[in-house]
Amino acid sequence: MDMITINQNNFDAHLPEIAKIIKNGGLVLFPSDTVYILAVDPINPNAVKKLLSFKNRWVGKAISIAVCDTKMAEKYVKLSTSTQKLYKKLLPGPFTIVTNGLHKVAPGIEAENSTLGIRIPNSKYILKLIKYLNLPITATSANLSGRSPHYSVASFLHTLSQKKKNLLDLIVDAGKLPKNLPSTVIDATESELKILRRGDLIASNSTSLLSTSEIETGKIANFLFQKIINKKLNGPIVLGLSGDLGCGKTVFSQSIGKITGIKSHITSPTFVIVNDYGKFLHFDLYRLNTTKDFIDLKFKDYFKKNIVACIEWPEIMGKSNLDWLKQHTNYFAINFEYISQTERRLSFDF
Amino acid sequence: MYILGIETSCDDTCAAVLYDDKILSNVISSQINLHQEWGGVVPDIAKRAHQERIDPVVNTALKNAKKTIDDIDLIAVTRGPGLGIALAVGFNYAKTLAKKHNIKLVAVNHVEGHLLSVFLKNSKGLPKFTPIFPCLGLTVSGGHTKIVLIEDVGDYHIVGETLDDAAGEALDKSAKLLGLGYPGGPIIERVAKGGDCKFLILPNPLPEKVNFNLSFSGLKTSFYYQIKNWSVDKKLKHLSDLAASFQNAVFNHLERKFSLIIDEYKPLSILASGGVLANSLLRSRVRKLAKTKSLPLYLPYSKKLNTDNAAMIALAGFHQFKRSGPSDINNIDIAPRFEL
Repeated sequence: MDMITINQNNFDAHLPEIAKIIKNGGLVLFPSDTVYILAVDPINPNAVKKLLSFKNRWVGKAISIAVCDTKMAEKYVKLSTSTQKLYKKLLPGPFTIVTNGLHKVAPGIEAENSTLGIRIPNSKYILKLIKYLNLPITATSANLSGRSPHYSVASFLHTLSQKKKNLLDLIVDAGKLPKNLPSTVIDATESELKILRRGDLIASNSTSLLSTSEIETGKIANFLFQKIINKKLNGPIVLGLSGDLGCGKTVFSQSIGKITGIKSHITSPTFVIVNDYGKFLHFDLYRLNTTKDFIDLKFKDYFKKNIVACIEWPEIMGKSNLDWLKQHTNYFAINFEYISQTERRLSFDF
Repeated sequence: MYILGIETSCDDTCAAVLYDDKILSNVISSQINLHQEWGGVVPDIAKRAHQERIDPVVNTALKNAKKTIDDIDLIAVTRGPGLGIALAVGFNYAKTLAKKHNIKLVAVNHVEGHLLSVFLKNSKGLPKFTPIFPCLGLTVSGGHTKIVLIEDVGDYHIVGETLDDAAGEALDKSAKLLGLGYPGGPIIERVAKGGDCKFLILPNPLPEKVNFNLSFSGLKTSFYYQIKNWSVDKKLKHLSDLAASFQNAVFNHLERKFSLIIDEYKPLSILASGGVLANSLLRSRVRKLAKTKSLPLYLPYSKKLNTDNAAMIALAGFHQFKRSGPSDINNIDIAPRFEL
């Protein structure tokens, strides 16, 4: 059992070594965007056997695999038009999407009913590794069947017998991972989506997510912002947050502010209309009444730099201002809906 | 020394003249009439009104104090926090005036102004008292909700503050939800009289005893969704009960957290200020709290000093000048998110 410690600076140097072990049928403990995972080459029957015996898992229960893009996924699963849309909107992200497999993987990877779960993790390490291998890897969480997943290498090793430890060919340690739940598993084999396992984010369809708490609203904010970052855009990023009072727009904005590095309390800007935190701007147009009010804020001056802005009640600024924003910034609309006392639906189309 | 105070941080254009801590004049060009038809502070109106009114408001303040600009030793102006474009009107006016007449200038924190407003005195120097420190201050308005430990004038530590909406903002929004227009606070107070404050059950935000922060957005959300599907008739029938319930929940939360922090920090006195303290019920609840805790309580001597005004800015400026001299007029600008 070898162990290497990786970080952003040294990962590329370690990449050939990790890839070689996987290519040769090795079992590797690897960090993901959710928990530590067990990575093997899913095409190699011996590697898969090794993984299954390590996990004490019976053949027939599926093991999901990670790919780097939709194109690679299509080599292993059938993708209908609607599933393609699901991929486009939710991946990369903390989702495993289950569809019918093409039987291109070793026995034990697809489920008994021939379905296969695919992930595109939001993890630079995994995506780089897969691209380098030009092959998918297994993405099953690093735990023995029936036990909880792990966020640090030490806590995982602690649960293993020496015999199990000997089965591991390489441990890739990226330190303690943030406490994100394992991915949400979505069964997309039928037209209506079914959630097989609940992770941090619950998708009700390809363009809307459900939140049942402020923490989940924060996680959705993180996910959507990461989607935007992945687009590698230039210029200001503006999030227009529409929806009724008490749907979580301010909570969402607080999370976005935090991601952009704002340390101070982000409180409601209703009274002052805009709070300027430097690289993050928080608008609330609730109390404005006319388009002209917004123009009089000299709002165009705010969007000259590379800032991130959240605008609550953007519709109040009027169509021409909104059109201006859409033209001069990277504008993304998110709609907040009240479902029940404990449920909100956040819709997006980007 | 004679101090001219100027305050334009949000909706009111204000100017005042003080002799040390004594108010000689205090002019607030309240824009209530303009706002009532809009249902909120309208920056367009605020800004234009500031620009149109700042000159007459300052002149009126000087005239009421029977002074001219040549008598003024110090100009104190709000630097922040507030709405940028509104702050800029007062700030630039003060700078120009100071330069033109060669008067020293101090740029003041609006929240410090609210805290010190309880120490303002009338032209005869009343009420007479010597404040005891450390003093724990509660300042609550449409834009701020803060509990501040004041070790001495100029030495502030924020020990609790809202994590989301300000208390006054919550009251404003509840008024709007009940169709009562703007500004919400005073109308809610009037409508709540005689209402059953236990009519609607609202949550107790941040119940943990170790948490000194405040939160009002959950109250607002609960209130809104409980009555959302009610008919207009039903709402009208229970208007008093609804207003009383919401107001009571907001005040319970303020009082509970203030009381917790008093027990934790054991100050020698307490103070309460800001627009929401214009509410008589809240004032009487704070008085009772002070009595229970056997602590002296400082409140502004007039209701007019609770809402935004320039007298408090002039007083904060007076103390700041004594502490650290004038601001560097050529190197200072507004700070819309100015921290205390």
